[in-house]
Formats: sequence, structure tokens, C-alpha cells
Amino acid sequence: MRREEIVERVNKAILADFDVEEDVMQPEAKLGDDLGLDSLDGIDLVVAIEKEFKESRVTIAEGAVRKLRTLKDIYDYVETHVAANP
Amino acid sequence: MNKEIALITGASRGIGRAVAVSLGSRGWHVIVNFLSRRDAAEETLKQVTEAGGTGELLPFDVANYAACETAVQQCIATHGHIDVLINNAGIRKDELLVWTDPESWRAVIDTDLTSFYNVTRPVVKEMLLKRKGRIVTVSSTSGRTGLPGQVSYSAAKAGLIGATKALAKEVAKRHVTVNAVCPGFIDTEMIGSMDHEALLRTIPLGRLGTAHEVGETVAFLCGEAAAYITGSVIDINGGIYT
Repeated sequence: MRREEIVERVNKAILADFDVEEDVMQPEAKLGDDLGLDSLDGIDLVVAIEKEFKESRVTIAEGAVRKLRTLKDIYDYVETHVAANP
Repeated sequence: MNKEIALITGASRGIGRAVAVSLGSRGWHVIVNFLSRRDAAEETLKQVTEAGGTGELLPFDVANYAACETAVQQCIATHGHIDVLINNAGIRKDELLVWTDPESWRAVIDTDLTSFYNVTRPVVKEMLLKRKGRIVTVSSTSGRTGLPGQVSYSAAKAGLIGATKALAKEVAKRHVTVNAVCPGFIDTEMIGSMDHEALLRTIPLGRLGTAHEVGETVAFLCGEAAAYITGSVIDINGGIYT
């Protein structure tokens, strides 16, 4: 899966589930400070991303979700795990 | 029909059974957890059905995290949701602290306090996603006042109150409420060995409480009328601690 497609699908999943302005969706945007997500939102974020990439069997472990700080971290995580399940 | 689902730990006897019957009488589907007393759990289920509810048995050890996680996942897979969790399972080992060995201490803390973490953690995740849920934990007057001969039990029950208040603040924004009840001397098997006459002299209302009274209070906290109550601890003790 191309990086551009991953970025587009991650952004689409987040915009669908959270009250986030589209112009904030930059790779370096911080999930907390910029997107306004709190620690409880992390649970919904995991569900949204896993659902979006269900066909690639992407799962986000509890330990991993706490390390996701920016949108780029999510893109990288998904890219790595999509590659592992081609 | 999409029934309301309640998981009650330690529901084979006493207060757990009474809570099961109170929820059953309101038409709930009650998942009756127990560890070893299947015959007693089956009696609970019978009473739930007679009260107008439905139910099922689900044996697992609340002191074992993996077992709790598996059981909760099984409930979710079967029913799709858990609307209410009642943390009720508990044991007591009455003895002076100086005679309490480490195994005895750990048994009480694991079953009475760590079980809160073991069961609540997997359940509350689902409630947060659904943005709906009620958690009621059965603490004790012993956790409010401290009782001699019950240092481990008082510690565990006081811990449950702290956990209830903290978790209530964590999850309130997702419409999940978390409350506790503190029964005093309730007429169940757990106080069977105590001196009833001596107990009655200490209770302002002059009688033991009934498990039914506790069950109805818990059921109230699970209902719509209690939607604005969270982080609260309700004493059910005949005035012994106010």
C-alpha cells in the first residue's frame, strides 16, 4: 500500500470519528495539543484505525498506542504493519 | 430483543445473589459469576428467572486477570455489550494483623481489591467505546471505619472506595458512572459466626440489614434515575456509621 493511500485513509478515519478540523491534519500535528485528543480518545483511535485497515489485519497493541504522539507516528505505524501483512 | 446485560461477580450467594434478583426483577439479563459453588449459583439463576429476568452462569476466578479478560471477552462476543458491572466478589479472613500470614493477606487483597482491576479494566474499555455503562462496587462499612480483626478486609474495602472515586472522574465524560455501596451488618452467611446480640446493640436502627435492601440500592444505581450519580459511596448500615 502506498504511503499516500495510508495517509489519506488514516486522516479519513480520524475526521470521521473525532471533532477535528481538516486543516489541522498535518504529519507533525500532535494528537493531544493539535488534534485535541485526550487519553480516553486513544481507545476510539485504536478502534478507528484497526477498522479502517481491517483487510491488512493492522492491530495496535496497548503499549504501542501510548507511543503515538503525532499523525506521522500513526502513518509510520500503519505502514510498517501493512507491509508485514501484505 | 436487546436486553440490558449485567455482569455480577460473586453472585452465587448473599448480597451478590440479592443484586442479581433485584436486577432480574427489572427484566435484566444477569450474568452470574461464581468460583466454586455451582449449586448455589444455579439457585441464584433460578431466583432471577422467577423474578422475571433471564440469566446465565459464568464461572471464573476474579483474582486471575487472564481469566477475567477471557470471561469478559466471552460476554462481549455473546451479547455485544455489558451495560452494568457489579464488583461484588469478596472474602474475609478475620484475624489480628499480627497473626495474618502473607498468603492470607494476599488472598483477601487479590479477591477483594485486585479483582476490581481485573474485571473492571476489560469491561470499562467496552463501556467507553459504547459511551454508556454503570459500575457499582460493593465495599463495606469496614472500609469506612476500619474494624479490628479485619485489617486486610478493611484495607481492601477502603481501596475500593478510592478506586471508585478515581475511576468515576476518569470516565465520566463518556457517560460511564462508577459508584460504591458500603453495607454494614447484613443478614447473610458472611456474618454467620458473629455474635448477633452484640451486633444489634451497636446498630442505631436496631436490626441487621437485609441482602434485598442492598440489592435494591445497587439496582437503583444501575437505573435511569441514578444517571447523575457518580463517584458516590452509599452507606447501607442502619446508622452504624454516618
